[in-house]
Amino acid sequence: MLKLNNIEVTYLNVIRVLHGVSLEMDDISIVALLGANGAGKTTTLKAISGLLHVEEGEVTSGNIEWNGIKINEKHAEEIGKLGIIQALEGRRVFEHLNTAENLMVGAYYRTDGRAVKRDLDMVCGYFPRLKELKHNIAGYLSGGEQQMLVIGRAMMSTPKLMLLDEPSLGLAPLLVEEIYNIIERFNTEHKTSVMLVEQNVRIALSIARYGYVMESGRVVLDGSAEFLRNNEDVKEFYMGLSTVGTKKSYREVKHYKRRKRWL
Amino acid sequence: MAELLQYLITGLAVGMVYALIGLCFVLIWKSSGVANLALGQLVLLSSWFTYSMLVQAKLPLWLGFMAVILFALALGWIIERVVLRPLIAQPILSLITVTLGLGYFIEGVVSFIWPWSVAALPRLFPKEPIHIGPTVVSQEHLWVAGISLLIFGLLSLFFRYHKMGIAMRATADDQLAVQACGIPVTTIFSRSWMFACVLAAVGGVLVSSIGGITFGLVETGLKAFSVVILGGLNSFGGALIAGPIIGLAENLGGGYLTPYLWGGIKDIIPFIIIIIVVIIRPYGLFGEERIERI
Repeated sequence: MLKLNNIEVTYLNVIRVLHGVSLEMDDISIVALLGANGAGKTTTLKAISGLLHVEEGEVTSGNIEWNGIKINEKHAEEIGKLGIIQALEGRRVFEHLNTAENLMVGAYYRTDGRAVKRDLDMVCGYFPRLKELKHNIAGYLSGGEQQMLVIGRAMMSTPKLMLLDEPSLGLAPLLVEEIYNIIERFNTEHKTSVMLVEQNVRIALSIARYGYVMESGRVVLDGSAEFLRNNEDVKEFYMGLSTVGTKKSYREVKHYKRRKRWL
Repeated sequence: MAELLQYLITGLAVGMVYALIGLCFVLIWKSSGVANLALGQLVLLSSWFTYSMLVQAKLPLWLGFMAVILFALALGWIIERVVLRPLIAQPILSLITVTLGLGYFIEGVVSFIWPWSVAALPRLFPKEPIHIGPTVVSQEHLWVAGISLLIFGLLSLFFRYHKMGIAMRATADDQLAVQACGIPVTTIFSRSWMFACVLAAVGGVLVSSIGGITFGLVETGLKAFSVVILGGLNSFGGALIAGPIIGLAENLGGGYLTPYLWGGIKDIIPFIIIIIVVIIRPYGLFGEERIERI
């Protein structure tokens, strides 16, 4: 159970990025964080995973609770040990290591050698492509393979909560679907919660059970995936659809842009 | 002919030690991206410490070496903790400059504690030369080369298979991603400095067991630096190959050119090599070029 209570995040003591974000997440759930660029989605993830400290950011008010433990002052490695692992945006593989070594880095702090080996097979089961590429240098993998590797690396630490930052970034639609299917399978088979940050609203809401829409550092709308999928504003602003699911006619578009004010 | 073989063996052995000290640089560069310019001074400091242990405190050899290794580990830990950790996430130039400052600081401390300029370590290896045909080969040099090679082998295995080694290489690639995997990078930095200081100490003991302890050891550090530039800043294998090349160039050049040029030519050959390498192959023989997917 993850709980963010009204958190504010400030970078370098001056730049406030989140203005009171609250969200809640049940165990073994999938939650999507949606919103435009600069809305604070990634910052929210980093606040949870503790990576904020690395970038001179700080939770200045409110708190983050994970199974009853306050984690907003802990460092990334302690939070990792508590079972929260973030996969960063932008396919950050270790370029000069091969695929197998990349996966092993994910299991760094685990000491049960046999279980680690079993999980290596497990990850290769989810991503059969990675098995073929075991000895290839990660820097030369294709974009899709790198994204699989990054997610696989997060799986290797057997997290209880996986934070995925834009897993669909720059990938072909077919591949996006494949990766999302795997995420969903992993969620049900391994009882791992997943928090997704996505621009691709449609695909995110297809597997998420609950979603939060963020706008300039605040949560402006939240609800079940079903609710969000049918919400007019979400449809228009994030899916590019207008009423009743029909495509928008550009003949009728006014020359000024309609903008949604959430507050 | 006999002369040639002599130069070859000496060159190879000395080159191996340069390579070993160069590894100290590569190790830190690989894991934290910091150029350690205090290489020579670390060698100097640990050699003098060995002197204190073996000659002044008259410890038996094995105990003395244990003490030296412990000292090197502690030194590495302290340096990382006190000097480098406060500078994490600062511009790379500050990090390089601070190691330069550290070097001078160590040099000052050394001349304060051990005010003599020269001292000799007890002989560690059998002194009797080996005769191969007409040539006389120094047994000490062979020992030194062998030990360096052994340490090389162990280190490569460590970086290939041990999870700490793999994590160190990963840290060199992407520090933020390593932290996202729940690995404390500060531990990684700390370990790599500790290892590096042990390497510097071993290299220092090997060099000074043959040549004695002088301020020339600082220069040995600089030569190790030229080995690293030739071999590639982040390549262990590169150091292994570049070390003997520099050692050979230095000894052959010194041996054959001195009569025609001037006496100090031997000592500047490595630096001439640095200049040429930087012009032709800035990333060294085996250095990593940035991976660009096409």
